[in-house]
Amino acid sequence: MSCNKENKLVAIVDDDDSVRGTLQELLRSAGFPSQGFDSAEAFLTSGNQQQTACLITDIRMPGMSGLELQARLNAERCKIPTIFITAHGDEEMRFQALRAGAVEFLPKPFDDEILIESVRAALDR
Amino acid sequence: MHWTKQQGIPLALRYGLALVSVGAALGVSLAFTHFNLPQPFSAFALSAIAITFWYAGTAPGILAAVLSSIVRDYLFESNTSTESRLLFDLVFLVFAFLMTRVARVRNQLELRVAERTAALTELNDNLKREIVKHHQVEAELRLSEAYLAEAQKLSHTGSWAWSPSSGEIRYWSEECYRVQGFDPKGGLPRYEEFFQSVHPDDQARIAEVIERAVRGREDFEFDYRIIHTGGEIIDARSFGHPIFDPSGDLVEYVGTIIDVTDRRQAEKERERLREAQADLAHASRMTTMGELTASLAHEVNQPITAVINGASTCIRWLTRDDPDLGEAREAASGVIRNAKRAADIINRIRSISKKGESKRQLVNVNELIGEMIALLRNEANRYSISIRSDLDIGLPEVMADSVQVQQVMMNLIMNSIDAMKDVDRARELVIRSRREEDQYLMISVSDSGVGLPSEQANQIFDAFFTTKSHGLGMGLRISRSIVESHGGRLWAANNSPHGASFSFTVPIPIGVPEQRSKPSNAHTNV
Repeated sequence: MSCNKENKLVAIVDDDDSVRGTLQELLRSAGFPSQGFDSAEAFLTSGNQQQTACLITDIRMPGMSGLELQARLNAERCKIPTIFITAHGDEEMRFQALRAGAVEFLPKPFDDEILIESVRAALDR
Repeated sequence: MHWTKQQGIPLALRYGLALVSVGAALGVSLAFTHFNLPQPFSAFALSAIAITFWYAGTAPGILAAVLSSIVRDYLFESNTSTESRLLFDLVFLVFAFLMTRVARVRNQLELRVAERTAALTELNDNLKREIVKHHQVEAELRLSEAYLAEAQKLSHTGSWAWSPSSGEIRYWSEECYRVQGFDPKGGLPRYEEFFQSVHPDDQARIAEVIERAVRGREDFEFDYRIIHTGGEIIDARSFGHPIFDPSGDLVEYVGTIIDVTDRRQAEKERERLREAQADLAHASRMTTMGELTASLAHEVNQPITAVINGASTCIRWLTRDDPDLGEAREAASGVIRNAKRAADIINRIRSISKKGESKRQLVNVNELIGEMIALLRNEANRYSISIRSDLDIGLPEVMADSVQVQQVMMNLIMNSIDAMKDVDRARELVIRSRREEDQYLMISVSDSGVGLPSEQANQIFDAFFTTKSHGLGMGLRISRSIVESHGGRLWAANNSPHGASFSFTVPIPIGVPEQRSKPSNAHTNV
């Protein structure tokens, strides 16, 4: 299965409601519509992978982690530009994410300019 | 017939006495005549009559008089005239008559003496009995006093009596002397002496307590210190109770002095032990919190990320070409909400890290569980463990130290997380709250981990027992002592097919109403 990116949808996967919600608000203020998912599983079962032009995901979540989600999408040949946001990312994790094709790896809390630039870059691909 | 002494003497002897006495008078008179001395038979005969009357009674006395008369008439005065004989006979007769009177009076006297003697003897017997009884009572009293003294010694309690009007100490038991440090040989202490033996810092205070009680005619009670002559300081407590006479006047105070030094010492020891336990519990909490640092940092980091997101959003709405104040306000409210959440988390961490005395108050166990889940959710996330809570929301509140109860929950949850870290099956932690019969609440933490170490199942609550490479092995030991100090129980059991459950109970205080009887389940999947 592969995915086309005709729609410029941004998907946000984070189990923390307030982080996910405020992130959606931030993107909306920058003019990017987004959709939130509270787990990797919820995103995978939503069927929205095809329309997703940019994925912002937390790494540590109950159930499937962000890195596992990335691996899963890669395995499905659904290469979505992915921005990782994490509160406790170490270098090894960062390296693993970037090697698997992540476009950005941001520690929480992050600078809004950097995030929005990354999203814009991902959508412009 | 009067009782007389003579009745005890045989009849023959009594009449014999008449014969013998008159015979003796005759013999002595003949002897006088033989030696040509004046013949005194009449005088001897009178004596014989008198003796016979006296010792042998009336009838033998009359016999003696008749005999005397015959003897005198025929042996000594045979040649005298009939008138002279008659005169002598008359004299004997009158004498005999007088002697009968004398004998009667004597008999009456003797009777009275006998009666009096009998009365006195009875009185004497009574007195003797009284004395025996008195001795018995005295012995009983001495025994009772000895028992009392022993009891006073054992309980370190002395008793006293004191007259407020004269200021005089009226009674001071042996134990009072010992406790107050006085020499019993010195007699009853004076009131001033009592005060001199009191610690200078306590004198004014107890003087005031006593004065106030006397003024109000009521009981008093005070703690004070005594300085013995050797410098030893005794902790004492005194109670006093006023005694009134029938007209309602205050007569005296009676009371006790108790040496509470040992008790106070034991209390201090217990206090030190409690402090040591609290220190240990705190140290254990801090160790656990140390293990949680990464998770707690993450937990605080989440709302801070949200705050920064919200603030950035707000600025973006304001700095657009056409600023949108409504959106900006909305974003700013989000900032406040999330900043509060961060503060709440920090407060939660601070309250459990706080070192303080045990404070018991009515707490809602379900709320404590909720807070603990919030604190440990991230730690569970780290190991892909889902936490589910299954709470009976109708539970009554219980008297507990919330920090300590949370410490127990934290220890159990951390143990469960540890037990599931390396298992491949679904990792699920379930926290339940239930009402157990009528007197207890039960909180249990179940996991799908490795289960209890089968061979050491009974050792898991021992101090320093641990299967972990980190930690002191104090967690369960401390948890158990916390639960027991609350009057509950903590135990562990294996689950089927795998995992373990740790459960503890907390007693429901009497008289606390149930909030709602309808049990309901709340699920929190993390």
